[in-house]
Amino acid sequence: MHWRVWSLISGGVAAVAVLLGTVGAAHAAMMPPAAARAGLAVVQAHCSACHRETAPGHFARISEERKSPEGWAMTIFRMENVHGVRLTQKQLRTILRYLSDVQGLAPSETRAGRFALERRPNHPILKLPYNLPVMCGRCHSLARVALTRQPASEWRKLINFHVGQFPFLEYQDGSRDIRWWKIASTQLPAKLAKLFPLHSAAWRQWRNRPRADLAGVWIVHGDMPGRGDYYGTALIRRRSWDRYRARYVLHYANGAAFNGSSDAIIYTGFQWRGTGTLGGKPVHEVYFAAANGSRIRGRWFLAGHSEIGGDWDAARTTGAPKVMAVIPSALEVGTRQRLILVGRGLRGGVDLGPGTKARILVRRPYGLILSVRVNAHAAPGYRTVRVGGVRSRDLLAVYRRVDHLEVEPAFAIARLGGGTLAPVDAQFQAIGYTNVLGAHGRVSAVRLGAMPVTWSVAPFNAEAAKRGDVRFAGTLRQDGLFVPAEGGPDSKRQFSADNTGDLYVVATRRTGKTAVVAKAHLIVTVQRWIKPPIY
Amino acid sequence: MSGLKSVNHKADLLLEAAESGHVEEVSAMETVAGCVTTFDPGWEVDPFGGVASLCQPMEADLYGCSDPCWWPAQVPDTMNTYPNWQDGKPSAQHDWRELNPVYPNTNAVFPKK
Repeated sequence: MHWRVWSLISGGVAAVAVLLGTVGAAHAAMMPPAAARAGLAVVQAHCSACHRETAPGHFARISEERKSPEGWAMTIFRMENVHGVRLTQKQLRTILRYLSDVQGLAPSETRAGRFALERRPNHPILKLPYNLPVMCGRCHSLARVALTRQPASEWRKLINFHVGQFPFLEYQDGSRDIRWWKIASTQLPAKLAKLFPLHSAAWRQWRNRPRADLAGVWIVHGDMPGRGDYYGTALIRRRSWDRYRARYVLHYANGAAFNGSSDAIIYTGFQWRGTGTLGGKPVHEVYFAAANGSRIRGRWFLAGHSEIGGDWDAARTTGAPKVMAVIPSALEVGTRQRLILVGRGLRGGVDLGPGTKARILVRRPYGLILSVRVNAHAAPGYRTVRVGGVRSRDLLAVYRRVDHLEVEPAFAIARLGGGTLAPVDAQFQAIGYTNVLGAHGRVSAVRLGAMPVTWSVAPFNAEAAKRGDVRFAGTLRQDGLFVPAEGGPDSKRQFSADNTGDLYVVATRRTGKTAVVAKAHLIVTVQRWIKPPIY
Repeated sequence: MSGLKSVNHKADLLLEAAESGHVEEVSAMETVAGCVTTFDPGWEVDPFGGVASLCQPMEADLYGCSDPCWWPAQVPDTMNTYPNWQDGKPSAQHDWRELNPVYPNTNAVFPKK
């Protein structure tokens, strides 16, 4: 049966299921019937002994929740670890596949928590209302909360589970000084159900929507902190209803190859989870496709070192002409440089504004490679990039000098490693800004992008100086990567302390006799042994 | 301190610190860094936003944290959730390298290689 025809029919089935008040019975447009039947059979075989199937495809508790694929993976792990469920890898993946599609999240419902799914390091916890930061945020990033949908009755059971499973949580600082249990058991369930309800219009609409086919040629650009921008093309082929294979032909800003490939599963019609290589290194990909299949965005990261990775932004080669990115994003006056305009439909001449002269060297499927001369008197500030009739603002800046730097991230945590645990590194980059005098004498800072700097560390305070944190905590490389020391008691430190540290990370950019300096705060701390997909 | 006898290495160090005129430093550390239920040194960061007042070395009291489930998000609790986590590793000080991270299916959402 043709996919779209099948989707329309299954969508009708889903609508009937909603009218009957069920969630799990609705296989929705997400899965073809054979895959849905296979998933349902494994859930029936391995889950229904405890989770009674009260109606066809509707299981007690299970059908009262919706989650991300990672959220379901954590639930399945808990069932295995705490409740003794035994699953093969194939069974686990079949259940994960089924529940993620049948009881998943709509794109809008994942937005707040995507940073956690993408495993972005040093991200602050979510700003959620009420007292959720104190009640839940002491242990969770709150993404786990924001990526779960369930009624008040299930939120209440989850709280009961926490108290039973982790009883000391009531005695911790932040709990014992409030009426934690009273708040958690009487106020929180209704508030959580209101914020993150089981039933939503977004999910009703999304699950009945046909899946977009992501096959095709894509233009890609992104940024890998510590290594810089990259660009190129991705060829994505469809292997089955939910599997794709991709081949990447990418380049760093200097033209060096950054090629790769990937095998990916699409969950819930839009969530790309890939395993592959980039630049010869094994990576995982967490991407999200736009509803109409016109764009794929997210983050990839090194397998085993999720703190190291890069942003990913892909658009189809077909569509309205557009400049997606300019690499590099800033040009210094008095220089001639190679410039990449990443985009599609870029026909006609290139104009980067007064004081510049751009020459097209070559046209590529991902855009244009230019040679650009910026004269010494070109005005600093953002430039409008014109290619034929296409105009793009704020993608390119011209600068005379770097007036100040900012180190990103401004606060980072690295973790000691050793033995079974890899260290958690911290990657920094120095972002340059130039001041531009605008209308009415107002000075605005124009972001120039990552700048080459000299990196160093310093004690954050007198205590850190006294403890010798700079010497013990690890090494900051000249690409901005801090690599922590080994964990364990260190007999060379007072009280055989671990090699923790409280440090300034300092970026210095020297031009002649002047120097621009910026700092970030780095905590080098101890290991954690609990490493779930969502903190 | 003259009436007290140190019974382990850390106590020796504390005694030495007291005798060499660093009593105030030791007192400050005892007040904040005692990893017992009445204090919260923090796991990653201490109450002052640094690491100087963390329980150090962490391994000295790691099992004191995992037995009662004190840091459920960082350290596997052996009371309920991971009862066998320490098995065969009687000394955190010497065996910390062998302690396994939990969540073996962290990457279950990704295709296998």
